[in-house]
Amino acid sequence: MVEAPKEEDVLSLAEYVVDFALKNGAEEAEAFIHYSFTRTVSIERGQITKSASIIDQGIGIRALIRNALGFAYTNILEEREDAKAAVLKALKSARSSLPDKYWQGLPSKKSFKDVAGIFDQKVLNLSSEELVKAASAMLKSAKKTDKRVLPVEGSVGAAHICNAIVNSHGVSGFDQGTMVECSLAIVAREKGNVSPICFEFNMERSYNLNPEWVGHEAAKLAAASLKTKHIETEPMKVILTQFALQQLLTYTMLNAIKADYVQRNQSALQGKVGEKVASEIITAYDDGLMDGGIHTWRFDGEGAPRQKTPIIEKGILRSFIYDNYTAKKEGKESTGNSTRAGYLSTPTIEPTNFHIMPGSASPEELMGSVEEALLVYSVQGAHSSNPVSGEFSVVATPAFKVKNGKVEHATRGVMLVGSIFEVMKNVTALANNERKVGQIVAPWVLIENIKVVGR
Amino acid sequence: MANIVKLAEEKFGVKHIEVRAQKLLKTMLTVKEERVEAAKEGIENGIAIRVLFNGAWGFASIGTLKTEPIIKALTDACTMARVASSSIKNPIKLAKHKASEDKVVAKARKNPAHISIEEKISTMTTIARTVLMFDRRIKGCTIDYLDSVGTTYFMNSEGSYIEQDKLYVWAKITATAKEGDVITFSREEVGSTVGYEIFDSETPELIGDRTAKRAIDQLRAKPPKGGKFEAVLGPNVVGVFVHEAFGHLAEADLALSGSIIMDKIGKKIASDHVTIYDDGTVEGAFGSFKYDDEGVPAQKTLLIKDGVIVGLMHNRETASKFKVESTGNARAENYRVEPIIRMRNTYMAPRDYTLEEMLEDVRFGYYFKSFRGGQANLDGTFQVGIQEAYEIVNGEIGEPVRNASISGNTLETLHKVDAVGKDFELWPGRCGKGQTAFVCDGGPHIRVKEVIVGGSA
Repeated sequence: MVEAPKEEDVLSLAEYVVDFALKNGAEEAEAFIHYSFTRTVSIERGQITKSASIIDQGIGIRALIRNALGFAYTNILEEREDAKAAVLKALKSARSSLPDKYWQGLPSKKSFKDVAGIFDQKVLNLSSEELVKAASAMLKSAKKTDKRVLPVEGSVGAAHICNAIVNSHGVSGFDQGTMVECSLAIVAREKGNVSPICFEFNMERSYNLNPEWVGHEAAKLAAASLKTKHIETEPMKVILTQFALQQLLTYTMLNAIKADYVQRNQSALQGKVGEKVASEIITAYDDGLMDGGIHTWRFDGEGAPRQKTPIIEKGILRSFIYDNYTAKKEGKESTGNSTRAGYLSTPTIEPTNFHIMPGSASPEELMGSVEEALLVYSVQGAHSSNPVSGEFSVVATPAFKVKNGKVEHATRGVMLVGSIFEVMKNVTALANNERKVGQIVAPWVLIENIKVVGR
Repeated sequence: MANIVKLAEEKFGVKHIEVRAQKLLKTMLTVKEERVEAAKEGIENGIAIRVLFNGAWGFASIGTLKTEPIIKALTDACTMARVASSSIKNPIKLAKHKASEDKVVAKARKNPAHISIEEKISTMTTIARTVLMFDRRIKGCTIDYLDSVGTTYFMNSEGSYIEQDKLYVWAKITATAKEGDVITFSREEVGSTVGYEIFDSETPELIGDRTAKRAIDQLRAKPPKGGKFEAVLGPNVVGVFVHEAFGHLAEADLALSGSIIMDKIGKKIASDHVTIYDDGTVEGAFGSFKYDDEGVPAQKTLLIKDGVIVGLMHNRETASKFKVESTGNARAENYRVEPIIRMRNTYMAPRDYTLEEMLEDVRFGYYFKSFRGGQANLDGTFQVGIQEAYEIVNGEIGEPVRNASISGNTLETLHKVDAVGKDFELWPGRCGKGQTAFVCDGGPHIRVKEVIVGGSA
């Protein structure tokens, strides 16, 4: 096994690189080092078939000359010469590029807040045998739940991630965390009838997985999705589970709150700070410091401190999310939302843990509160939404007709049509069952009046 | 590499081992309006080792080309395989394949590695300027540019050794337009394995105009009606339909996983007009290559012939299950990850209709010209989001329509194809299946008797 990098070693390399860039003509410079070690055990078609170990590390360098930004990266960190060669490439790119008149410098030094629940030594110590054991437990639980199911694919994985950053304005930081996940995708089959793929997962920062639950839930959903009935085309009340909500928000609203989109006239929320943009029961934070959050770190992709930013309070839009560049353009401070795809990219703005505060009703009470509704677990085609206007036209699958608090039957191929911004205004109730899915932390939501195209 | 293969056999008792290595240089640009956000260059070198041990796979990858860490990776791969094999019931077997030795040299007229960053910046900012100058209602333009030039190396314990130059040039251009409360969005992609000469035919002006015009035309577009309608699909939409709605179901791993195709092989699943290929041999196309990442030559694979499903896309593992030969569809995005079954250039073969002939019998329907995104499920439910559509009224193309999407069941829809055109276009794209693969898809214009149209709210 290649050893995880030590804090003093990576910071010393990063400092060396920044210094080398300055000596060779950079006016500002930054080095970002990323290391990840991932082990995965994979399931295919009902059995454990493979296992993988992936080590990825590298350095990304931003260098500025006359306000023109050059960037270079390399995944070869064995000799300082390799890093130096990357610096020279970044400088060459900067010299070839065009100056940016809005550039106001890399971030300056600020203290980071402490975060909890993002590193667990137990995850690092997990043996491959323990990963296999968890995968077997997940499979067994699925098969026990219903005989008609086939676990199509799944995995159990554990990762160790380290990030370090140094820039020429005194920013210097090192952070490490762990990530552990198990997931299972299942189809059920009966007499030539195939259910849609049904998916369940756990993703945590500490070793807190429940593979039996994941297997059971995915199997239950697939079996329930087998028998479908037609529903009519009409506006309906819709309950979105966290998956469906996350899919619809990711390609629309989560872009609309990015300062970059707002400043470049690509956000439907432009100019709406202080206005009502959602139902008054909606309060949402971008919480980069959330305990055990999937996207919780001490600092962001350019070394600005992570923070908790109110985005929507009781339906009123309070703030957008910023990186250093977009914040300085408006004379503001970064909200710590600069994000990196490891060492491979320049930073972009992304939400951290977009936390929609839960309500008080249990999921059963939420279903029982309406005469009829469509309960949607996942949608197909959310990525084909109009990313700017927020209009979507997607297939709800798996989805169930709910009547008087009871799941009546599954539906197939039913479409949901609307605009995410209308959807957010039409939220009438929130359940108390929040969970982490991708960039959101949210409960089930009940929405009035979504157009449902029946089949 | 040869040493690793030998070591695996001698020290770990591994019978089948594959070693892949990669040397790669990337150049990327992000342009927002006319501002160059960053000019980026990167090096990605590394090695991957895959072993088959007692019927289970072990895989390890690491970003280095040095011996010592590679031997550690080999140890990892063997250990991982041993652990994974502990509970295997149906051991994995590989279809036989004749070993190849070859060296594939890129023959770009304009190798992107020899084009200066200044010239690339100039091409991209020209596109951006063309978009922004097209109409005052254009509010934004984002361009992502990527070229990657490198060599991959493949060796296995059966004696294959393949060195392959890899070259990709790609750009994505998006434009937004706004008038009153209406916001529109338009996307174009350019992709080629030929070289930078792609921009000689797809000139910055052509690309820029095409992207901007769509965003502007959409401003006056009306929402579609929801429901079932007759439709004519343009080559771009046919491509994404063939890829998403049918192609994924015909990837042998997904077929085995229970896709609705599984019990239909050899049976009629589409109208007589439908013939579909997945073809890795189209010269210069974005999804073309000579050998896949298991060392199997890419081929032109017939999937549907005159409505009958005759083949699937295979790697060596699924080929063994079906007792056929691999079709050369095993692709890995890069050295970090293992090869999985991916499409290459997937298309419907042309027939004999003209667009006019297809339109003339339609009293009311939709012409879907360009897609925004698509997705399918194993149960055969597909969805394709549309970025450019028009009404068809009394046999003629009418008013533009915005934010439509079509859906349906793949098999029902394939049976409803009642006319296939004689034109043909292939469009580059990127396909996600855990990993990203560069592909093309396309075909001629086709007419479908009925699809479900998701109207606007």
